[in-house]
Amino acid sequence: MTTALLDVALQALHWLRRHPRFALLGVNLAGLLIAYDLVTRPGAWFGPQDGTWRRSQINGDLYVGIDPSYPPFAEWTPGGIVGLEADIAREIARRINTTAYIQIMGFDGLYSALYTGGVDLVISGLKVDPAYMEWVHYTQPYFDAGQILVSPAAAPIDDMRDLDGKTVAVELASAGDIAAQRWSRRLEALTIARFLLPDEAMHAVQTGAADAALVDVVSARLYVEQRPDLRLADETTVPDGYVIALRKKDFRLAEEIDHALADMIDDGTLNEIIDRWL
Amino acid sequence: MDSTAPFPSNTLLRAARLIARLLVLILILKPVRPAPPYVRLGPPQTVQTEQPAVCVHTRLTDEVEEWKIQRTLSMVREMGAATIVEFFPWPYVERERGEFNWEHPDRILRHAENQGLTVIARLGLAPEWARPPVVEKVTTFTYLTEDHFDSFANFVRAFTARYRGRVDMVIIWNEPNLSIEWGDRPVDPEAYTRLLRLAYAAAHEGNPEITVLGGALAPTTEPEDSPSGMSDIRFLERMYEAGAAGAFDALAVHTYGFTHPPQDTPDPAVVNFRRVELLRAVMERYGDGDKPIVITESGWSDDPRWTRAVRPGQRIAYTLEAFEMVKSWPWAGQLCIWIFRQPLDLHNRRDAYYALVSSDFHAKPIYDAIQAYARGWPIPYAP
Repeated sequence: MTTALLDVALQALHWLRRHPRFALLGVNLAGLLIAYDLVTRPGAWFGPQDGTWRRSQINGDLYVGIDPSYPPFAEWTPGGIVGLEADIAREIARRINTTAYIQIMGFDGLYSALYTGGVDLVISGLKVDPAYMEWVHYTQPYFDAGQILVSPAAAPIDDMRDLDGKTVAVELASAGDIAAQRWSRRLEALTIARFLLPDEAMHAVQTGAADAALVDVVSARLYVEQRPDLRLADETTVPDGYVIALRKKDFRLAEEIDHALADMIDDGTLNEIIDRWL
Repeated sequence: MDSTAPFPSNTLLRAARLIARLLVLILILKPVRPAPPYVRLGPPQTVQTEQPAVCVHTRLTDEVEEWKIQRTLSMVREMGAATIVEFFPWPYVERERGEFNWEHPDRILRHAENQGLTVIARLGLAPEWARPPVVEKVTTFTYLTEDHFDSFANFVRAFTARYRGRVDMVIIWNEPNLSIEWGDRPVDPEAYTRLLRLAYAAAHEGNPEITVLGGALAPTTEPEDSPSGMSDIRFLERMYEAGAAGAFDALAVHTYGFTHPPQDTPDPAVVNFRRVELLRAVMERYGDGDKPIVITESGWSDDPRWTRAVRPGQRIAYTLEAFEMVKSWPWAGQLCIWIFRQPLDLHNRRDAYYALVSSDFHAKPIYDAIQAYARGWPIPYAP
């Protein structure tokens, strides 16, 4: 097959050498195609423009969709919308020289509001959903709400593999419970102790009834905050990232927000906001 | 290789011909679509259960693919639920006045029967022809005026007659004590009672053995003058005062736990699972204590982003405790859990977290727990 293709290519080259006008025509056509591609790319002279970015820069506004029913991520208070997600949105808006105008809506209306242009972005505990990938651009996660190991500060455990022959406490029927069951098949001996609530699972670690607890990050952070004898693992065992959603056609805005979020991660602002609320 | 060979050579000509033929073939095949999956009914099944009160509200109303209907109902059967509640909208059947198309209910009932399931049919919504023309007034599907109560009763008669011996229980309308379910108008217990009376008579004309379930009231504490609804307790009292006692054979009840355990004491000011006992007390007070109650909607949500939800383990514990509680009530029939599955989880987060299986048929821990309870297996999710 390769030989046949090579044969065809060589024949074509020989033919072009004997017909230089066609070769020139080919080069011109290729040049035109490249030029066409360059001038019609998103943002180029004749390409699609990001009107949302232009509007936000001229008016200095950024419309943000939030479902304010989930403290401490977002909550509707007499003083306005407060919470971790509201603060992240405001900080992102500040970094792109705009002001965030938070639009309150029910969770089921978030994507519709984004699609119809009611808001420029949505930050509301969304997860990457393949069903929306055709028109939605997702940022990198701003928060990992997955399942994380909580262990005694004096005997830290960061990896499920370190629990072989030990006991892990989990919240009954949670993602941590299901993950622990999977790990019990991988390890030689893993005892799973189930509790109705995540706090009960972490309490079992404090009392020595379990070597570690595998619970969701939000519960873990709220519990460990008051208990210095416990610590969280560096990374989640079962990740569950919350992401910001934007319209793909707003390519410039998406790019700027990606950069702003990356900068917030690099300079520690994102962690500061998370620590403020959790 | 002969570098002086003329171009295009035979090889290139052959390649060009091949490409041309392929293009023609693609053009011919383009309009051809794959056939929809062929659904074989399969041998008749029976439900294996030790808990006949276990029931689930399915949602096949807007499920267009037959294999998904079959898969849903087979999973219900495997879970050990012997009964389902399913919604059969009037507009689906009588789209044009007097012209009945039974394709949708026929298909669901065919599969339900094949899985050995008993169906409680919820009937409701109004077709376009039974509502005012849109140029006069914009209405919703739940808008039914008195002059079309007879038309709805005719549909009920036709339904019960057609499925006589196959459907033994029908629910008349849904949550009429909510404005949204009453055409976005102020709710009207007396008008609902008139509708119920007509539907009751028609249902029994169609099938004298039918059990007509009235009420299906939403659990709410809204006062009588609220624009969004009325307390289910007060609504039921006003139904009785309007003469509803003779217009239904059993009361359909919706009772949700929200954040409360099922044992929480009933209180008119609180929506919790045992609110059903307050409705029972109303029935007894109006001399209707001989009639049974069927809980046609109930359950707990484990939505992590909802302040009225519980944790997944609590959801399992509360649900199983509720089944045990219902068993101890001599006046209660089935406890139907809202909701088994919805066709698409994307646009309805609330129901997605009430569902026992995901849209893609992934069984949640609550499904495994109910299955083990119903079939007498060890509960897989126990503290």
